[in-house]
Amino acid sequence: MVRSLELHRDEIPPGTLYLLILKTLGRSGELHGYEIANSIQLISEDVLQVEEGSLYPALQRMLIKGWVTAKWGTTAGNRRARYYQLTVAGRKRLAVEMSQFERVIGAITRVIEAV
Amino acid sequence: MNWLRELARRIRMLANRRQFEVDLEEEMRLHLELRQQDQIKSGMSTDDAQAAARRRFGNVTSLRERSNMAWGWEWLEHLTQDVRFGFRILSKNLGVTFVIVLTLALGVGANTAIFGLVNGILLQRLPVPAPEQIAALVIQSGESSLGALGFSYPQFVEFREQTAPICEVFGSATAWRLNFTAEGHSDTLTIGGVSSNYFSALGVKPALGRLVLPGEGEHPGEQAVVVLSYAFWQRRFSGDPQVIGKQVRVGGKPATIVGVMEKEFRGQFSIFEMDAYAPLSTVFDESSASNFWNSRDIHLMLVLGRLRPGVTLAQAQSRFDVVSRRLAAQYPVTDKDLNVRVMDERLSRPIPYANNAFIMFSGLFVILGALVLLLACTNIANILMARASVRQREMAIRAALGGARSRLLRQMLTESMLTALLGGIAGETLGASLSYLASSTHLSNIPVRLGFGFDWRVFVYALVAVIFTAISAGLSPALRATRADVNTVLHQGGRADAGGKARHKVRSDLMAAQVAGSLMLLIVAGLFVRSLRAVERMDIGFDPNQLLNVTLDPSLDNYTRIQTNEFYRSLETKVRALPGIQSVSLAASVPMGNTLGNQSVYVEGRPVPSGQRAPGAFFNDVDPPYFDTLRIRIILGRAFTDADSETAPLVAVVNETMARHFWPGEDPIGKRFSLISDAGPFVEIVGVARDGKYRILAEDPQPYFYVPLTQHFTAQRTVQIRSSMPPGLLAPLVQHEIQALNASDSIEEIQTMKESLGGTLGYFIFRLGASLAAAMGLLGLLLAIVGVYGVVSYAATQRTQELGVRMALGASPRQILALLLRQGAQLVAAGLLFGLVGAWALTRAMSHMLVGVSPSDPLTYLSVAGLLSFITLLACWIPARRAMRIDPMVALRYE
Repeated sequence: MVRSLELHRDEIPPGTLYLLILKTLGRSGELHGYEIANSIQLISEDVLQVEEGSLYPALQRMLIKGWVTAKWGTTAGNRRARYYQLTVAGRKRLAVEMSQFERVIGAITRVIEAV
Repeated sequence: MNWLRELARRIRMLANRRQFEVDLEEEMRLHLELRQQDQIKSGMSTDDAQAAARRRFGNVTSLRERSNMAWGWEWLEHLTQDVRFGFRILSKNLGVTFVIVLTLALGVGANTAIFGLVNGILLQRLPVPAPEQIAALVIQSGESSLGALGFSYPQFVEFREQTAPICEVFGSATAWRLNFTAEGHSDTLTIGGVSSNYFSALGVKPALGRLVLPGEGEHPGEQAVVVLSYAFWQRRFSGDPQVIGKQVRVGGKPATIVGVMEKEFRGQFSIFEMDAYAPLSTVFDESSASNFWNSRDIHLMLVLGRLRPGVTLAQAQSRFDVVSRRLAAQYPVTDKDLNVRVMDERLSRPIPYANNAFIMFSGLFVILGALVLLLACTNIANILMARASVRQREMAIRAALGGARSRLLRQMLTESMLTALLGGIAGETLGASLSYLASSTHLSNIPVRLGFGFDWRVFVYALVAVIFTAISAGLSPALRATRADVNTVLHQGGRADAGGKARHKVRSDLMAAQVAGSLMLLIVAGLFVRSLRAVERMDIGFDPNQLLNVTLDPSLDNYTRIQTNEFYRSLETKVRALPGIQSVSLAASVPMGNTLGNQSVYVEGRPVPSGQRAPGAFFNDVDPPYFDTLRIRIILGRAFTDADSETAPLVAVVNETMARHFWPGEDPIGKRFSLISDAGPFVEIVGVARDGKYRILAEDPQPYFYVPLTQHFTAQRTVQIRSSMPPGLLAPLVQHEIQALNASDSIEEIQTMKESLGGTLGYFIFRLGASLAAAMGLLGLLLAIVGVYGVVSYAATQRTQELGVRMALGASPRQILALLLRQGAQLVAAGLLFGLVGAWALTRAMSHMLVGVSPSDPLTYLSVAGLLSFITLLACWIPARRAMRIDPMVALRYE
């Protein structure tokens, strides 16, 4: 089976996809979809696996919410690509998502350590 | 405002949907290609790299759909898909679609028309400012056969003064037939004689000129003025603005046109249209109805009140109760039981008689309309059911390919909704034009307006009807079609009906329900028609055929009493000389037409106790040939003769009921009574005439008497002419004779007796009821025939194979026919049984609307049931015969 040849990667915890995208964009400025996927994977040292395609519905939802904007540009390889960028609302959202995440993770950590 | 911006983004996306899809496509392709390149760089073969990239990306189609769904427009896309697909299906089955749309159009059309009329007559408020403040004031009284009466003018004035703090009381007394002459041409108009505050209280505005002013026209003899209705102004004067100030004659008296009423206001009654309005003093002068202004017994004013802001009906009621009690104490003879009810103006429609059956009548027709719609639904459900089984294959395959059931259901329902909407639009158009036609028809001699209000209520009503149809007719077939299991369906071969017995059961039930529904409609129709026949055949006490009525009032030409008598004498002579004349006579009143008032009767030797009112009776002033002309038999004593002159002893002819009522068990001839007082003068009874109908057709036998015109003068008389010539042809000849006498202005009306009896007090309401009910009955019958035919012929087609086998095994065509007919007959019989029970229940409400026939009239029930079973069996027989001719070989190869 092809699957067995691959590295085992962990699915991302539900609900954190937004956070990951926001954070990635916040760090790097303008990125297109493939770069976002790669970046998440790279920085997590290949642990976090995003079902790469699911980035796109998420990006659409973020466009609707007004957290990101998109415009067409050209890649290094001279291909047309859609670049996403955080808006002001997106930055605020990032802060909210961060603090929420930290609160939850902190709580979970405390529960685990209490054992 | 975040959601607003969000919505804006969504809408922008909707507008650039194509671009969006292209962009997303490109974005995803880029992603896949970049991933593939990276994989190749890390040493994979091209094919493996592509596969890996795809695997990591996920299901492209589903992701695309999810991205799309993020924008929240998928319902719209599905809808457009469904609608597009629906239209394709509908246009592929044009025949079926046409039948469904037509069926619905009839069902919805009938309902829209009926509801439109009911809405216009009963539900819409008067077209005046703040109409919710308008209340109807109705005198409750048990003694009149018409229920409550209006107010007398003195009562009206007292109530207006004494309730002023809470309510502005205003009212009108309608002159139903008043001669109106302008530019040398006469019309007979319905004129609302209005109190001086009528228009100011209503708050209506003139389209032109002015209306009746406050304070104007409540003293007899004032300058006569008239306000035209908008419709009459258009009809008669072609909307000429120069009519203001024009001199005309109203009721023969000179009057000035001072204004034109605004278009929206057509009078205070929702079914009678006023042609013009005039102050009370223009309609009632001292000579023609001296009693109007002073008598408390002449109840001509129909009264409304505008409640002051914040005053409730209950508060107003208690105020009126106080005033009623005060007046009862003040006028014990006339106002003893005075009791005024304050009610929502709409409850007093069409005319404020307390016990009018009109609300029941409309309710019944709304129910009948709903029944027609149900029949239409049943038919459509049947058709859809048949189609559902054909489409079960398609549905099963689509389900097998991953179509969610909810999605398939939605698509089927969209289809039936589409059809329903098409039918609904057709139906609303049909219904709206029908009732518009009805409301704009000007019936020349009946001032009836069938008000049609196409407003939101009618629209919502029809919309609800359409949605109800779509869901009730479409849901069950849709559920069935989508329930199909692909395995079963595909293994069944060409015959796609997996529902089998259960399905046929439902369709059979529907067929039985249809027979039941149409039986109910037909029985109601039958009862109304029988009632009309009974009314038309009813003994009205005289022979209305071959009679022409010419109503004249020479006082309009300022004739004196002597001149008036002279005029009638010479007119009679001239008319007698016309060809074909059999008999000519004069009378002051025409049965079911213009009636003289109720007259007190003081029987000699039986004084009326003080504080009590003398009993009353209606009467007529007639000349000697009257009984001959109308063919009213004198059963005792004699009719009037020329000897009963002005100077001869006063005499009267009474009818049977009056004789029985006042002199029970005695010989009435020679008995005497007075019209004035216990002290006389007395008139002596010389004859007894047969009973008849006098005021309305549905009345019970009532006391009535005749006095000679010579001894009881009236200027307004009707010349009644019996001739062998058709009365319609005679009319212009008579008119010519009147012109020759220079008395054209005196003509109030020329009508055949038959026409006169067709009026609102005569056959009109019976004919209206019968024709409306008959129309609904026929519609129901039509729908039932189509339904039964459809079910049986569908069943026959479905059973082609089985029938073929039976025939191959030796069943004769006759046996096949009998088999199919027997099954049809069982259903029809079940339907008839339920229908009879349903009709019996429904018709309980009709007893007040029928004359001369009981609501459970067995003849109607049996004959209608017989007719319906004959027709429906015929509808079974035709497809059954076709099935009988099946060639067994063809049938066996059918699939």
